[in-house]
Amino acid sequence: MSLALYYFLAITAIYILMSWGLYLPYRVAHLHFLTVANMLISGYLAGFLVQNLGFSFWIALILGFAAGGILGYLISLFIGDAPTFTVVIVGFTFIYVSRTVVENLKAVGGTMGMFGLPTVAGTPSTHRTVLLILLYVLVVVVGFLIYRFEHSRLGRAASAVFVDKDLATSLGVDIKRMGRLVQTFSSLIAGGCGVLYGFIYRSYHLDFFTFHLVGIFMTVIFVGGYATMWGTVIAAPALYGLTLILPTEVASWRIVIYGAILIAVLVLKPEGFITRRLAYRVENALTRKRKRHITDPKGD
Amino acid sequence: MQVFIAQVINGLSLGSIYVLLATGFNLLLIVAMIIHFAYPQVVVFSMYIAWVVLRYTNDNVVLAVLAAIGSSILLNLVSAPLFQKIMKNREEVDINTTMVLSLGIGMIITDILSHGFNKGLPIAFPEALAGTRPLLRVGLISILSGQVSSLLVGVVAVSGIFLLLYKTRAGRAFRAIAEDPAGARLVGIPIVRTGLESYALSGILGGLIAVLLAMLLGYTSPGLGELVAHKVLAVSIIAGLGNLVGGLVVGLALGILEALVQGYISGSWSNAIAFVVMLVVMLFRPRGLFGIKL
Repeated sequence: MSLALYYFLAITAIYILMSWGLYLPYRVAHLHFLTVANMLISGYLAGFLVQNLGFSFWIALILGFAAGGILGYLISLFIGDAPTFTVVIVGFTFIYVSRTVVENLKAVGGTMGMFGLPTVAGTPSTHRTVLLILLYVLVVVVGFLIYRFEHSRLGRAASAVFVDKDLATSLGVDIKRMGRLVQTFSSLIAGGCGVLYGFIYRSYHLDFFTFHLVGIFMTVIFVGGYATMWGTVIAAPALYGLTLILPTEVASWRIVIYGAILIAVLVLKPEGFITRRLAYRVENALTRKRKRHITDPKGD
Repeated sequence: MQVFIAQVINGLSLGSIYVLLATGFNLLLIVAMIIHFAYPQVVVFSMYIAWVVLRYTNDNVVLAVLAAIGSSILLNLVSAPLFQKIMKNREEVDINTTMVLSLGIGMIITDILSHGFNKGLPIAFPEALAGTRPLLRVGLISILSGQVSSLLVGVVAVSGIFLLLYKTRAGRAFRAIAEDPAGARLVGIPIVRTGLESYALSGILGGLIAVLLAMLLGYTSPGLGELVAHKVLAVSIIAGLGNLVGGLVVGLALGILEALVQGYISGSWSNAIAFVVMLVVMLFRPRGLFGIKL
């Protein structure tokens, strides 16, 4: 496999997972940018454990997930039912504070970052294969969990919160508990993504975790469609791939391009390309086809 | 004690800029019903325009100030139809979506500044604009022209805004829309025009802030907009969104806190400490100290 294809597949998987990490809290109208701080904290923690203390990658990965989940849960105790703008600014503040802390910590390389992380398994080629398998297993598992969530009572309750918090409360939905649940889960995903993100490049640098990352994930969600999880699956490879096929001089303006696409979609196609109605229609069509196939396997 | 006094003076001038920013931000919030997260990025863009004009007009300060104000008004007015289209699409006020749109605008402005001006490196303002000339020096305390100007203009501009809001007909229209948009429409207040006026007014304020920031800091960089944007939104949240008086108190307090931290702790940690304090307040009072006025 060529390096270009490896990076495309690996980064696309990270974009999908992280955008789902933002999508899930947005189901209760929260833009949970804390996830980028979770990525940074868990990533650097894993890098430190592996490079300085000799931990295995797998243990560091588990600890990375745990660190993300614990931090997410602790913060959600305060902002589980906070207004969206407060959740946004708490996330941004955490990104800023964690960047400053890392910048001043010599143990994790400060502004220079961490380089030369060991491979996950044997040769560089095996390392890449293992990481890709791990990433896409994670995409399938997280996707399945989100799919189950969406088709459960909890998912319907989240939809009610998104539409009208007061109505949801009067219907018996515990808004704070719902907010805590989705925020913790999204932080957990982000923690794992942070570890994997660094091991894809075998290095950690503060430039990996800038506010641009927030913009990219936000563009993926809103362009793909914020009302269904499938929008992210389509938009992540399309948006990341777009910058790869553009000439270098144009691609260096990718944030401007993403910003322009985001604005155009918000104004012209507010629900994004994959709307909830479209997703239901496709799901129904597939279900009907499957049922027909079960009752009449030969298709007669 | 001298360090303390010097830093309080520093803090007051920095705080007055936060107050101005929070006032412009809140004005758009309560009248146009948008969270214009990119408002500080608009201000930083105007700082760059002022720098370009200074460069090409042999340091003509008057032209630079006019260009900064003009560009800020223009950017605000250009973004207005986008926000209004979103409101129309949804047939309701949707503060969250306007915030996302605004974040998109901010992304574009920051990246244009990173690529299009001085190769993304910070720019320094010439002596003609940067207020680094000391007006008074007593021991460790030195009062710079930039500090005095930002404090004076800050006081005048905020007083002007409050006078406009509470003593004029236009101000009553602004407040009426803030209280009840449907009721305001019913009594004949033109909602769209008044909204546009608030964009223009916050644009004027943005241009002024750009000049004051240039005088106070003496430099700017593409990332400054994001940094200031987080602080202004944090000030507004801590104060209570839409609460102009709260913004005044919290803006000044943040300025003084930051300056004091800078005076006693190493520079790279000072912003982080200010952010941690803001974070703690936001976590315990997510709806602000003075109450949301929306």
